[in-house]
Amino acid sequence: MKDIADHLFDIFENSVNAGASEVIVRIANTENHFFCSITDNGTGISGPEVLDPFVTSRKTRRVGLGLPLLKKAAEDTGGYLKIKKREEMRGTTLQFEMDTSHIDAKPFGDLAQTFADIFFAWPEMVFKLYISTGGSEELVLDFQRLRLEAEEGLVDLLKLRKHIYEVAREELKKIDIG
Amino acid sequence: MKNLEELRMMREKVKRDLALRTGQHRIKIVVGMGSCGIAAGARDTMNELLDLIEKNHRTDIMVTASGCFGFCAQEPMIHVYVDDQRPVTYRNVDIDAARLIFNEHILNNRVVEQYLFSKGKK
Repeated sequence: MKDIADHLFDIFENSVNAGASEVIVRIANTENHFFCSITDNGTGISGPEVLDPFVTSRKTRRVGLGLPLLKKAAEDTGGYLKIKKREEMRGTTLQFEMDTSHIDAKPFGDLAQTFADIFFAWPEMVFKLYISTGGSEELVLDFQRLRLEAEEGLVDLLKLRKHIYEVAREELKKIDIG
Repeated sequence: MKNLEELRMMREKVKRDLALRTGQHRIKIVVGMGSCGIAAGARDTMNELLDLIEKNHRTDIMVTASGCFGFCAQEPMIHVYVDDQRPVTYRNVDIDAARLIFNEHILNNRVVEQYLFSKGKK
């Protein structure tokens, strides 16, 4: 995983594998502190042992490195990664924070591309991206709405990829990412 | 208000566009997107394939993602399903390999031995 963009995509894939049909991402970036929270409605995790690379429920291989690698990347900068089962309903919430000015911080990479990729990799997923700035939160991407618009012919489906990329890039720029 | 002819054309266009996503596809390409695939550059592979599909105006090809299936050292891997032929799995599919496989296998139905991993059951 060379950058945060790869890690985000990876966490998203975890959600998909856990049977999630809905994923909500919230990000904020102020004064070199990048915060990200990802909430899904998948099967949920059993406990903190998911952060152990040698604990995995899958059968194709016996190690799982995705989460431990991101945890390490966050902690290397003095940040953290927390993961917990949602209490009010099925699913998992994952949060991490990192100091982007730290010498060991991984670069963001192309985060906008990650969101465009998610749209095409999992066409049925309900996905929402919120960006927080100064206390207020704004819904930046809503894949369900985009799909509905595409069905009504308002947005050309083939152009959607570029559209999502550009919207995401524009909004991320506002919080100094990319 | 648009006239009837315009509306009809719009409807046809949307129908064509939607064919890309709604399952009436002749060809399906599945890209391995586990942690291993992502770390090996599977997102670049997927985007190259999407670009090629767009450039060739092919609405009958679908690209989708799957998780890891246990051969992490051979990532990025893709599976190609054409009609009811045996599915073909390729290994080490970087951007150049994706281009080659698209031109040979997808456009001309010739399996690319160089990147072949296995052929599946029907």
